[in-house]
Amino acid sequence: MSILPQAFEDWTIILKINFILSVLFVTLALLLLGTVLYMRILKNRSEERKKTLEILLIDFVNNFLFDEEFDKSKNSVNFKNKHLKTPYDSKIAITQILLFNENLKGESSSLIKELFFGLGLYTFLLKDLKGNAWHKKARALFVFNKLSVEVPEPLVVSQLNSKREEARHQAILYFINSSENDPLSFLDKIDTPLTLWQQIGMENAMKAYSGEIPNFSKWLNHKQQSVVIFCIKMIVDHNQFENILSVQKLVNHPNARVRRQAIVSLRKMEIGEVLPVLIKNFPNEGPKIKQEILKNISKLGSEEELKMIAPHIHTKDRVLKIEYLKIARYFNPKLPKVKKTILKIYPPEMNKAKYY
Amino acid sequence: MKKKILVIEDNPMVIKSLEFKLNKEGYDVYLTADGREAMDKLKTETFDLVLTDLMLPFVSGSQLIAFIKGEHPQVPIIVLSTATQEDIITDAFTMGVDDFITKPFSPNELALRVKRTLGKIKNSN
Repeated sequence: MSILPQAFEDWTIILKINFILSVLFVTLALLLLGTVLYMRILKNRSEERKKTLEILLIDFVNNFLFDEEFDKSKNSVNFKNKHLKTPYDSKIAITQILLFNENLKGESSSLIKELFFGLGLYTFLLKDLKGNAWHKKARALFVFNKLSVEVPEPLVVSQLNSKREEARHQAILYFINSSENDPLSFLDKIDTPLTLWQQIGMENAMKAYSGEIPNFSKWLNHKQQSVVIFCIKMIVDHNQFENILSVQKLVNHPNARVRRQAIVSLRKMEIGEVLPVLIKNFPNEGPKIKQEILKNISKLGSEEELKMIAPHIHTKDRVLKIEYLKIARYFNPKLPKVKKTILKIYPPEMNKAKYY
Repeated sequence: MKKKILVIEDNPMVIKSLEFKLNKEGYDVYLTADGREAMDKLKTETFDLVLTDLMLPFVSGSQLIAFIKGEHPQVPIIVLSTATQEDIITDAFTMGVDDFITKPFSPNELALRVKRTLGKIKNSN
């Protein structure tokens, strides 16, 4: 038996298609509206839950930290069973604990850690670390690092070469901050290039590191060029002048980026002895390294050394030429100004304002 | 009689902890989340000590300190701030604050400093 009226059967095909499509679109629109409303309600509920739980947590943590008569272990178990029922609840609790940890120190820090274990959050995060979701692993490592909580090393080592940059970054920070005497030992296990962001994170972590600073020359032969570059920078930052010879050798490294960093670092450390090698290498280097060599000559060399590279600067290498002339004038202020010289060298259409 | 402490801090977690700890230590704690509200409170009530952050909404910590030093010069001020730069700390002391505590802070140490500052005032009176 048809649910449609008899008249529908008599409609023309166009009218029937029109009618069916209208019904379909109205249904889809209603479904969409219903979904949006449902999502909104869920969101409101979770926000409400978050606010309530945050208030409960702040009160609970304050009692835990400051009330000497508070039964810590018993109340932790009770709170966990009563309020931390879902992963969402645990996430809210972790956020609050991190906030307390960020603002309080001294005796409160160890109590916060005790609370972290007492509420079962260590087990919760360890499960995340063993799971498959990269974002959960990265978050777990972030929390362990912030709270200085130790976790089984193999679980962290496996993240050092994770496909996700965020997980690798957190694993690196965890190793530096948790190490007592060898914060960069993990570098031996690195098989993926260090990103610039990771290098910045490592640099900051090393500045804050309170233990003995390692000898960075250990990794100057690392298979990853980014690790070598990072270590060259660190040798300068930590004034490891005993490693100058090792850095000097790197001006002949097969990788151009490593060579460039070595040249920059030697300039910062004011090592002029390497200039003859740099001048010898100059003709075979690319424009960026040539510019760095010019800067080294400017800072550590003489006019004679500058003249030695002059035949190797092509007339078409405009930027290099300008750099060269600036340095030449720096050595000999009687020379004509760079702008005038360039105007003579190049035709007027090439003398755009942006170059001056 | 309990000593009255005015706490000006916009971080809900910190403000709650300060309230909890200072109440436990036996003080009457009054909370405000911004400098403007604190000024209003100071116009109508008297306090034995002010504990304030430097970065506050509406009225900055420095403006608030200047106001207190102008209107209630006898009220001691302790600054609780994340700032660790020497110039900021020096400026605060130049303005007349009695103590400067940097975050993260130890609640026990803070309670001791509050007690010491109130004790100093009592002795000087």
